[in-house]
Amino acid sequence: MLEPHSMSQNQRLRHDRLTFYKEDIDQIDELLSDFLRLSGAKCALLIDKDGHLVTKRGELCTIDIDTISALVAGSFAATKEMARLLGEEEFTAMFHQGERDNIQLSLVGDRTLLTILFDDRTTVGMVRLYAGDTAKKLAAIYQAAMQRDPSGSQLHEAFGTDAKSKLDNLFDS
Amino acid sequence: MVQINFALKEVNCKVVFYGPGMSGKTTNLEIVHQKAPEENKGELTSISTDGDRTLFFDFMPLDLGNVAGMRTKFQLYTVPGQVYYNSTRKLVLQGVDGVIFVADSDPEKMDENVESYANLIENLEEYGKDVRELPHVIQYNKRDLPNAMPVAEIDSRLNKFGVPTFEAVAYTGEGVFPTLKTLAAMVLESIEKMDGKAPRRAAPAAPKAAPAPKQAATLDAATVPAPAPAPAPAPRPRGPARPVGARRPAPPPHGAPRLRRPIPAGAPGRSAARSVGVTRRGAAIAPVAAPAKRGSVGLVVGLMVALIAAAAGVAYFVYGTPQL
Repeated sequence: MLEPHSMSQNQRLRHDRLTFYKEDIDQIDELLSDFLRLSGAKCALLIDKDGHLVTKRGELCTIDIDTISALVAGSFAATKEMARLLGEEEFTAMFHQGERDNIQLSLVGDRTLLTILFDDRTTVGMVRLYAGDTAKKLAAIYQAAMQRDPSGSQLHEAFGTDAKSKLDNLFDS
Repeated sequence: MVQINFALKEVNCKVVFYGPGMSGKTTNLEIVHQKAPEENKGELTSISTDGDRTLFFDFMPLDLGNVAGMRTKFQLYTVPGQVYYNSTRKLVLQGVDGVIFVADSDPEKMDENVESYANLIENLEEYGKDVRELPHVIQYNKRDLPNAMPVAEIDSRLNKFGVPTFEAVAYTGEGVFPTLKTLAAMVLESIEKMDGKAPRRAAPAAPKAAPAPKQAATLDAATVPAPAPAPAPAPRPRGPARPVGARRPAPPPHGAPRLRRPIPAGAPGRSAARSVGVTRRGAAIAPVAAPAKRGSVGLVVGLMVALIAAAAGVAYFVYGTPQL
């Protein structure tokens, strides 16, 4: 495990789950696909605690991903506060049950939430069983990724000027 | 914190409208939602009370489009302004990349503005953030009030760090876009710096690392109220400069918090606005545990007893009768 002071800028950002590289996401996607096949769940979203989507797998055609990511993160943050009041650091899993569709949330590492949507084609027991296993494997991927030098991707140098022009288009039109 | 996702080719930023209750945070967001081009905006979702006050947050994604190969999105949030919602307000600030502080120009609300700004500083400190390093701007809203406080006077009391300020009449849309545009530009500039070209700030080691001395002392009337065990929220009557009630639908008859976002017709049983009772099945479920196998337990106990008896027999033959 690297000490924070010995990390490069890229490693720190990766450690804090602020920057995600394709090589890491490819591994995560493969793991989530395996999870969906084994558990019978509809879809799996990996969301960071700030409410941003990291990656997704499965049937997603009718879901507003941005909104559900924000609501999941908000919901999890609220339960963390409840846990604190009870003397717990945080709850590591949550379950929302609907008439047909359900959501299972599991904390992965310390910054991301594995969000699983499933219906009556499977059971909560199956989902929880495989979700726990997947969360452990995801944490291992994070750990390995942090210690590996990233691919060197960075924002294009024209990002700033292009952003300015896009802001002008959006707000001055 | 800004999320840069090279796999999805996305940059995601979190912007929060902060300020005292009834200052116009939700109205700002509603105007952005009304005026932004269809292809750039997502749905506006609000978790509010029956009195149409923000209970947790309002949320709207705003897509800037493809910026140098990266789809750049702003997630816009508001916070509940009332003092007694501080715990939820603080949660919304988690991972914030930029803040628009919406101040009320009513002279009678000046103390609330100052108190709310001090509260922002304090809440950011709990996440290990210094407001001076966070991109933020101040909007002086309700400039159409006949007794609106002069800008210079508000500035002297509120804008202690000399950040950009904007005059606005949010319910007419005046000043809303310039405020957001400037803040968005500041956030994007900070991303460039974070991306390694000119690292300005290190990623925080821990969310609650040793908070710095409170900045609140530098502000007027900076007595930040503790998140008191508050009485039941009593919705205040709306001020004359915020005639936005017409834009908001009448609250439903029941008492549950509701989503202000339109609920699709034809799905009455699945409406998020429905009051859902707490049921055992709906509660957090205990971890799945395998049922105890009593037969196996009995066998193990029997084997252990036999083993102990055999060991005692061997010891008797080897050492003879123990002398007490």
